[in-house]
Amino acid sequence: MFRETAFNDIQRDSALDDTSAGFVMDEETFRAFYERTARGLWAYLARLTGDRQLAEDLLQETFYRFLRAANTYENETHRRNSLYRIATNLARDVRRRSLARAASVPAGDDIERVPSGQDAGATERMTDFTRAMSRLKPRERAMLWLAYAEGASHREIAEVLGVRSTSLKPMLFRARRKLAGLLGRAPHGGKP
Amino acid sequence: MKPVECDLESEVLAAVLRNLWPDRVDARLREHVAACEICADVVAIAGAIDYAREEMRARAVVPDSGRVWWLAQMRARREAAQAAGRPITAAQVIAFACAMSLLGACFGATSSWFQSALRWSASSLAGFKFQALLPFAAAFVAEHGALLLGMAAILLVIPAAVYLTMLRE
Repeated sequence: MFRETAFNDIQRDSALDDTSAGFVMDEETFRAFYERTARGLWAYLARLTGDRQLAEDLLQETFYRFLRAANTYENETHRRNSLYRIATNLARDVRRRSLARAASVPAGDDIERVPSGQDAGATERMTDFTRAMSRLKPRERAMLWLAYAEGASHREIAEVLGVRSTSLKPMLFRARRKLAGLLGRAPHGGKP
Repeated sequence: MKPVECDLESEVLAAVLRNLWPDRVDARLREHVAACEICADVVAIAGAIDYAREEMRARAVVPDSGRVWWLAQMRARREAAQAAGRPITAAQVIAFACAMSLLGACFGATSSWFQSALRWSASSLAGFKFQALLPFAAAFVAEHGALLLGMAAILLVIPAAVYLTMLRE
């Protein structure tokens, strides 16, 4: 289950559709949903693309496509999965277009910037982490972020990434091994 | 087959995320992590990812929800207007083509000079020998080969450039 899932007024959706724009929810419901999900989604997109500005653009595009999708959502988790699936597909398309143009895919330098005032050790750890993440495949980055930053279940990750649940466990295992290796397997682990 | 998950993985993960690792957990769990490579990987990455998540969420600058909603509405309405206009344009083009065809058919059926010109063209084509054109064409190609190549290249390049530009946009 994704974190911060505490939305109980799902039944409002069907009653308050904004028919003028063909959206799946009304403004009030959208704004509440946006406030709950936008920051996490931005972090996910920034981590996938390595580019803050691109993450913001994709965030807006994701919410637009989400609003226009003629879907009905059973619950908050379903809705959130759908949002992340749209975002994942958009980030994948952007990456494919970048590769087609033979431009280098951002390696995460843009999101490495840490605000001044933070201690040097934390800055260094964030830089190391960003570099390690940028050396993973986009799908590996996505699944690790969804699993450990968003707290998504295996089934949810499989749904977001469009892979079979049965394939996910070995894929996640390999991605975790790879990242742990890149991070140098801190002897005590835990938070920095 | 090598195991890819461990029963204690979620317990280890919870300990890391609650900042209990490594000092405030059971010795049993620490011993397990020391022996289990799956849980050791979880310890190595989970704290780092969670820290990065908190950092990034704290620094995230996302547009205001009202602005996103307003822009989405504007765009949806614009797209709806464009979509509504598209069938009319297509219908207009088809109607124009039909009208022109009908006009051409009426003109062809009623104009005596058009019919005589048509008969003359048909008889000329029947008696025409394409082999007679070959020496002339060969001489033309030999003389203006570069020009012909250039024109062919333009005919190929321009549609390709237009297509690629539209694709990018």
